[in-house]
Amino acid sequence: MDIRTSFAAQTYAKARPATQPAPGAAGPAGASSGFAQALGSFADTLNASETTAKAAMTGGADPHALVEALAASELAVETAVTLRDKVVEAYQEILRMPV
Amino acid sequence: MSDFANSLSIAASGMEAQAMRLRHVSENIANADTPGYHRKVTSFETVLDQGQATGEVRLGAVKLDPSELARVLDPGNPLADQNGYYDGSNVDLVVEIADAREAQRSYEANLRMFDQARQMSASLLDLLRR
Repeated sequence: MDIRTSFAAQTYAKARPATQPAPGAAGPAGASSGFAQALGSFADTLNASETTAKAAMTGGADPHALVEALAASELAVETAVTLRDKVVEAYQEILRMPV
Repeated sequence: MSDFANSLSIAASGMEAQAMRLRHVSENIANADTPGYHRKVTSFETVLDQGQATGEVRLGAVKLDPSELARVLDPGNPLADQNGYYDGSNVDLVVEIADAREAQRSYEANLRMFDQARQMSASLLDLLRR
């Protein structure tokens, strides 16, 4: 094996842990307190608005409640989509890095 | 982000309360000629969550206006007493129209607040998108 190739492989193996998440953040405790909680409340918002929409169609809910629930879920979805776009963009930026 | 969601729900509660108030006003107007009808008076109260005011509003208990009923002279009416008078309602149409207009203005104000909260959150997200 060429000495340069093995040197590159060594450097790569050394650099790889830098892309791994920090040990504290990736554990179940870290996930449940931060990102997972946000995702859970996002899913709750969508569920609540779907329930309200169903109730409004069967005449059980007030139109005001429907409008409010739809606006809240719109806000949540817009936030989630924007964050996702930002994350994907950052990932692509890393992939485009000249090696 | 939850501040935006809170202002959306508070504005929606205001719209709901004003819509209920308009409903009682229209009941009053519809019964303006009903003998013995007392007009309904609506009141508002803040919504409490475990003793804490959430900022939302809802309609309180509906009371009947205890003021005197109008005496209507109509001897041909089966309800009339020996003098030819019977008890009408105490609905004053001018007051009801003014109340309805006030409910409309307040509803519009809440609607604008709702729209503004949505616009503010949209422009905040636009900032993130750049």
